[in-house]
Amino acid sequence: MAESRYDGYGPQFSPPPEDYRPDPDLLTRTWGPLPGIRGFFAVVNYQVVGMRFIVTGFIFLLLGGIQALVMRTQLAQPNLDLVSSELYQQLFTMHGVTMMFFFAVPIFEGLAMYLLPLMIGSRDMAMPRLGAFGYWIYLIAGITLYTGFFLGLGPDAGWFAHAPLSSDRNFTPAMGMDLWVSAIGMLEISALVAAIEIVVTIFKLKAPGMSMARIPIFVWAMLVMAMMIIFAMPAVLLVTVAVGLDRMAGTHFFNAAMGGDPTLYQHVFWFFGHPEVYIIFTPALGVVSAVLVTFARRPMVAYSIVALSFIAMGILSFGVWVHHFFAVGIPPIGLSFFAVASMMVSIPSGIQMFAFIGTVWTGRPIVNTPFLFLIGFVVIFVLGGVTGVMLAAVPFNWQVHDSYFVVAHLHYVLIGGALFPLFAGLYYWFPKWTGKLLDETLGKWQFAIMFVGFNVTFFIQHILGFQGMARRVYTYDADLGWGTFNMVSTVGSFVLAAGILVFVFNVFWSLWRGRDAGQDPWLAPTLEWSVPSPPPQYTFLEPPVVRSLYPLWDPGAPDPEFDTAADRGERMRPQIRQDVRETFGTSIMDGEPESRVNLRDNSLWPFFAALAVGFAFVGSMFSLWFFPIGALLFYGTMIGWHWPFSKEIAT
Amino acid sequence: MSVHTEPPATPLLPLYVLGSRSPTWWGMIGLIAIEIVVFGGLIAMYFWLKLANPSWPPEGIAVKPLLLPTINTVILIASGVAMIVAKRAIVRGNQLVLKLGQVVALILGLVFFTLKIVEYSGYDYDWSTHAYGSITWTMTGFHAAHVISVVFKGIIVLLMSLRGMFRPDRHLAFEVSTLYWVFVVVIWLPLYFTMYISPRL
Ligand code: HEM
Ligand SMILES: [Cu+2]
Repeated sequence: MAESRYDGYGPQFSPPPEDYRPDPDLLTRTWGPLPGIRGFFAVVNYQVVGMRFIVTGFIFLLLGGIQALVMRTQLAQPNLDLVSSELYQQLFTMHGVTMMFFFAVPIFEGLAMYLLPLMIGSRDMAMPRLGAFGYWIYLIAGITLYTGFFLGLGPDAGWFAHAPLSSDRNFTPAMGMDLWVSAIGMLEISALVAAIEIVVTIFKLKAPGMSMARIPIFVWAMLVMAMMIIFAMPAVLLVTVAVGLDRMAGTHFFNAAMGGDPTLYQHVFWFFGHPEVYIIFTPALGVVSAVLVTFARRPMVAYSIVALSFIAMGILSFGVWVHHFFAVGIPPIGLSFFAVASMMVSIPSGIQMFAFIGTVWTGRPIVNTPFLFLIGFVVIFVLGGVTGVMLAAVPFNWQVHDSYFVVAHLHYVLIGGALFPLFAGLYYWFPKWTGKLLDETLGKWQFAIMFVGFNVTFFIQHILGFQGMARRVYTYDADLGWGTFNMVSTVGSFVLAAGILVFVFNVFWSLWRGRDAGQDPWLAPTLEWSVPSPPPQYTFLEPPVVRSLYPLWDPGAPDPEFDTAADRGERMRPQIRQDVRETFGTSIMDGEPESRVNLRDNSLWPFFAALAVGFAFVGSMFSLWFFPIGALLFYGTMIGWHWPFSKEIAT
Repeated sequence: MSVHTEPPATPLLPLYVLGSRSPTWWGMIGLIAIEIVVFGGLIAMYFWLKLANPSWPPEGIAVKPLLLPTINTVILIASGVAMIVAKRAIVRGNQLVLKLGQVVALILGLVFFTLKIVEYSGYDYDWSTHAYGSITWTMTGFHAAHVISVVFKGIIVLLMSLRGMFRPDRHLAFEVSTLYWVFVVVIWLPLYFTMYISPRL
């Protein structure tokens, strides 16, 4: 039968050629980038996009760190005037926004993007163009925010921008808050599209035979993170839009004089805000479990319970948001409910901790840099968890509300729970990404410096909190007697920063002089270590099939009847075409091969679409009319994105 | 030694699949999940503000009329039904009903949008009059933006149908856009209940 001209990507079925053999040259042509500057903007490959997320996120960590150092210097002694109180407000707001939105969430998304296809045996993420689009919006959002900041227009209402301070032009007349609205709005969009991509990839692109019971814990963690983003981030998108409307269009959502309600802001924002902490923390735990299993040299203890506890944690974290404003005036029954829920959410984390400890206990641990960072994580995070349970007790909470005790707590949780695992992950996967090992000696120094610096900086802040030092003050009087402890804390923060610099140096040093890593330097169990380092653009020469939870430790034998999903996948492998971007599409639960998924290739349109979104959001700071115009432009770019529409039959 | 049996025959894998077998379909489900949270948030905000105010709608603002919005709601539902009819048609290979259904749905969508403008230009308060105005205008505006965007998207899908790109086993673009269309219709119902029915209960 003749094929019609609307056959999109090609015929419905592709019987394998007689002389089928994997052809690396052909695959490289199929999956490679476009040449030149155009290729730079058009590339959609998950390795490139994922690495861009990681590097950009790390640059934001450095920027946020510089702001932190300026603040700490200002606080080193009483009555310093390095920065004005106005600038200090901008600094802590920018620091919080940078760390929470522009560093932690994107960098873990980047990790997910780079590693998921490798771990689940796919050749790319499910929607490559969407991933590229998400990156460009993220970049535009970051550039917008920092351009404003360097022009002296930084937002200054704290990272959570409580209304009515943020929503009423009489209180915050400067453009800073409009900037916050636009930048956060764009960042949310980027996080949401990345989340959809992650979920769909895990659902549909697993290798044949990789059932839900055979995905690594890391993949579970990323799935839970993405789900949480999908259910939490829209709330903050909504609330930022509402703030923007109050400021720009004259609505009264948060204006009590006109029937609005400021506590409405707090509820909607923190409905997102608490899960946000877990959005950061869940993928970090995923990193922990991947690194842990490899270096404990044994399978994870209680795999299914750990996987379930991730899900439980994700769900429970949506029931605790009120603990961020216990002091605002809540009926007692509400206080008790949210206090109990807040304490309960520590149960799944406790279970995971015990599984981690059990795994190490019964394994033969190898103590190298990634493993050291895991130990740092456990120590610091448990301390942060303890102060967290303390804060969940309402009377105690009222006592230390908005004091340095809270600053100490949140850094113990965030740095212990995200930054230390992140470094463990970076040391662990750097060889996969670059082909070079990071230097071990430097790594151990980095760990020691960071661990000491961190505790010196933040432990003492608990005490400052008890002594009554409020957070977000730009200076304090000498007769309060806080000078010494603040000085200690400041010195600690510079030590901590030095540790991060050691890492930056280590990266450049190792790229230049590092030892070659080879394919699998750690003798690790998961699929990403079955391909060369760095992985080729087509990732797998032949699409892998999976017969066990730890395929490189225990490949598993074919079924005697050759009748499992993996066996079928193995026989179907030659059908996956090499001259177009194809990969296996499998069923969600069992990894049963269902289709050949054709992935879209390089294109400039995601970049243009991001520009249209940026135009709408940045323009809306000046006039809301930019929004409909931007929407029309976006519509235009969508046409380009899906062109030619004959192909749309498939996508 | 076990006796090796011949492996069972290997079926050919299809390239074009529909529904939950297709990643694109799941992408659309993800988008819809996000939007449900946003709309749900708007409804929660509405009731929160209602509880925070002594009277709702506030003094001086009348309860919204029922007749026009109800007719309009029926029109929107009808557009969704037309899309579903078109979807059923393409599964059976009926190209004519496929196209007709979409044309009807597009027209009804535009009628809905126009009647919304007519309705809202009749009110003597706007979003800056009171928080009541803020939330109702925002809910309506946000939903209307969705209606107009499915219409825009629908035009493209209609052009694709006119060029005969859809087949009984290959119409993912159409399937996904129907899914979204139905979502925009269904999500209107709780909004309708919130703004028009709940103040009367
Ligand atoms: C690199 C070491 C870091 C240092 C020295 C540091 C220091 C500080 C300081 C001095 C403040 C302001 C306290 C105040 O005046 O109230 C602050 C606030 C904050 N930090 Fe950090 N920080 C660091 C890393 C991080 C990281 C990695 C995160 C998150 C992932 C983070 C999240 C926050 C948040 C959310 C706030 C609150 C901002 C606000 O009050 O709106 N910090 N930090
Ligand atoms: Cu919380």
